[in-house]
Amino acid sequence: MKMADSEEITQGLEGWNKEKDGWEERKPEFTSDAGIPVKDLYTPLDTENIDYVRDIGFPGQPPYTRGVYPTMYRGRHWTIRMFSGHGTPEETNDRWRMLYDEGETGFSAAVDSLTFSGVDPDQEVHGAAHEVGKEGVPLYSIRGVEALVDNLPIEKMSVALVVEPMTSAAITSMYFNVARERGMRKEQLAGTTQNDILTMTIGYIPWGSLKPADLLKLACDLIEYCTAMGEAPRWNPINFTTYNYREGGIDAVQEIGMGLANAVAHIEELLRRGWKIDDFVHRLAFHLSAHRDFFEEIAKYRAARKLWYRLMKERYHPENPDAYRFRFHVQTAGCSLTAQQPMVNIVRTAYQALEAVLGGTQSLHTNSYDEAICLPSEESVRLAVRTQELIQEETGVTSVVDPLAGSYYVEALTRELEERIWDYFMRIEEMGGVVEALNTGWLFNEMSKAFNKRRRDQESGDERIIGVNCYVMEDEEATPPFRTNPRAAEVEKDRLADLRRERDESKVAALLNQLREVCEKRENVLPVVSELTAAGATLGEITGVYREIWGIWQLPFVA
Amino acid sequence: MDKKIRVLLFKPGLDGHWRGIMTVSKALSEASMETIFFGFKTVAGVVEAAIQEDVDVLGFSVHSGAHLEWAGELIDELKAQGARDDFLLIVGGVFPEQDHDELKEIGMDGVFGPGTVTADIVTFIRENLKSMKVE
Repeated sequence: MKMADSEEITQGLEGWNKEKDGWEERKPEFTSDAGIPVKDLYTPLDTENIDYVRDIGFPGQPPYTRGVYPTMYRGRHWTIRMFSGHGTPEETNDRWRMLYDEGETGFSAAVDSLTFSGVDPDQEVHGAAHEVGKEGVPLYSIRGVEALVDNLPIEKMSVALVVEPMTSAAITSMYFNVARERGMRKEQLAGTTQNDILTMTIGYIPWGSLKPADLLKLACDLIEYCTAMGEAPRWNPINFTTYNYREGGIDAVQEIGMGLANAVAHIEELLRRGWKIDDFVHRLAFHLSAHRDFFEEIAKYRAARKLWYRLMKERYHPENPDAYRFRFHVQTAGCSLTAQQPMVNIVRTAYQALEAVLGGTQSLHTNSYDEAICLPSEESVRLAVRTQELIQEETGVTSVVDPLAGSYYVEALTRELEERIWDYFMRIEEMGGVVEALNTGWLFNEMSKAFNKRRRDQESGDERIIGVNCYVMEDEEATPPFRTNPRAAEVEKDRLADLRRERDESKVAALLNQLREVCEKRENVLPVVSELTAAGATLGEITGVYREIWGIWQLPFVA
Repeated sequence: MDKKIRVLLFKPGLDGHWRGIMTVSKALSEASMETIFFGFKTVAGVVEAAIQEDVDVLGFSVHSGAHLEWAGELIDELKAQGARDDFLLIVGGVFPEQDHDELKEIGMDGVFGPGTVTADIVTFIRENLKSMKVE
């Protein structure tokens, strides 16, 4: 394309503006999901201040706007990683096997509310038994993890453990111990632990959560153990899960702004512990959302890569080039799904998946169409896998790296988001970082403002949702729901009873005392927790020690 | 002027999906109702508080798939504390439409699935409280 003179373009634009005078538009103003004003037309004038070499560059090279690897999907497709779990570990293992047969290339464990909170089903915690296996797989001891990955090719497939700081040391060490039983060394294992403090505080509020500073400590213990201490160098010990905050109603700017601030809190804590930036930073990874505004989401991924590069370059200066690469997994937006006309969710998810791919994701989960009603059925999850396979096999979009680069709109939007995200991130930094912003309730307030605004916009019809506030169908036939195993609680209680009978009680008790000491001294919990899970200690016992020593967090908000 | 309608909302069990109930809580306050929100508390504790606070409406939200279990436990607890018919009972959350009838059979007065407009909850509460008082 021949570069046009900007004066010529300005003149052309003026002429065009005159000509369209009198042409009515559908509404007085157009904005993106994040509220960025969107013009009717973008021209080279909108990208005049963008320097190709400096700001966009080449894939696999600074500032990584176009992707973190030089060949992207021409080299290797993203990992098809379906977040999945229900009933018992055996049933989840069946589902994982089915997903593997259907072409999934990475596993991801969705756990139940007890596993998330660090509670055993036989513990005297109110209602625990009602929720066993209902929202995900129950993993209360090493026995559960053994059954979960039994006969699965974990030597060649990475596994994501979607558990948070309260239980990340326990569950990750269970997994490492199981792999060792199967003859693998943890140095070989590829995978991820989500381990995200904001998921545990503003994304989802688990029963009996610890204080933000204690959650941060536990999150950093795992990073320290796996990466800095070199115990599991191929493992991603954290995945800053901006997806979960986004699900609460915030926008793309807040999503990435909070994610960067969260990462900085961990980096600072590890530096404070005496590690050097190059000891750990290359293993920090992210888990982003793919939401409703197609171009804004794509621009968001591009801007996020560039901002991570900027953060590293301006503030931390790591020597390892990998540290500058912003690697991320994407999940299509669960909150965009509707219970009404659920087949429409297939289409929604497909567009969102395409955003993630055009945005250069490393790994992707696509939601199933029935997920606004229940956990996915085999049929629905197969379609969700096929959605990704279709993008890989039939659309041709993976043949070219970052194909939307150079679009006046996408480049201008990338720049705009970059500026807005950095400002938002700096606001959190200026108030003392995410832990402080949690303690004061500021982050909760941001979340609640966002979801109340979204409710008003959806109920007024400003935010259009097919099947809910437009194109509504009367007398729809309800989709048959998938039901989790109603006997899961019994099965899991029996599993724990067997374990407690067979394990060396005095050894477990002694190790739990050792954990108490470690917690009091605030040393890294991983070494003793690894021994505990190998000796058959349960999740509730280990998390119980944290609660006992550090106390439970009183949430700083009134709903 | 009528006395303000008093609503107690809670999340039973361990499940931490709070956005739905917080949104409803806010919407009811905007509709001039007085809302009390409890996070994690036992059903027994919630019923006790509802009696003490003399609320009109008792509601909870479930995203854990255990909606039938929780509805059953709430009714049992209300009976145990002698308050079976004292409150208008509402439930919302992510559960299949096929379970709406069963939730009503268990004893829930209002059942609100995904996609509910909060104005409908407000209307439901106002109309049903009126008819409860007429009875």
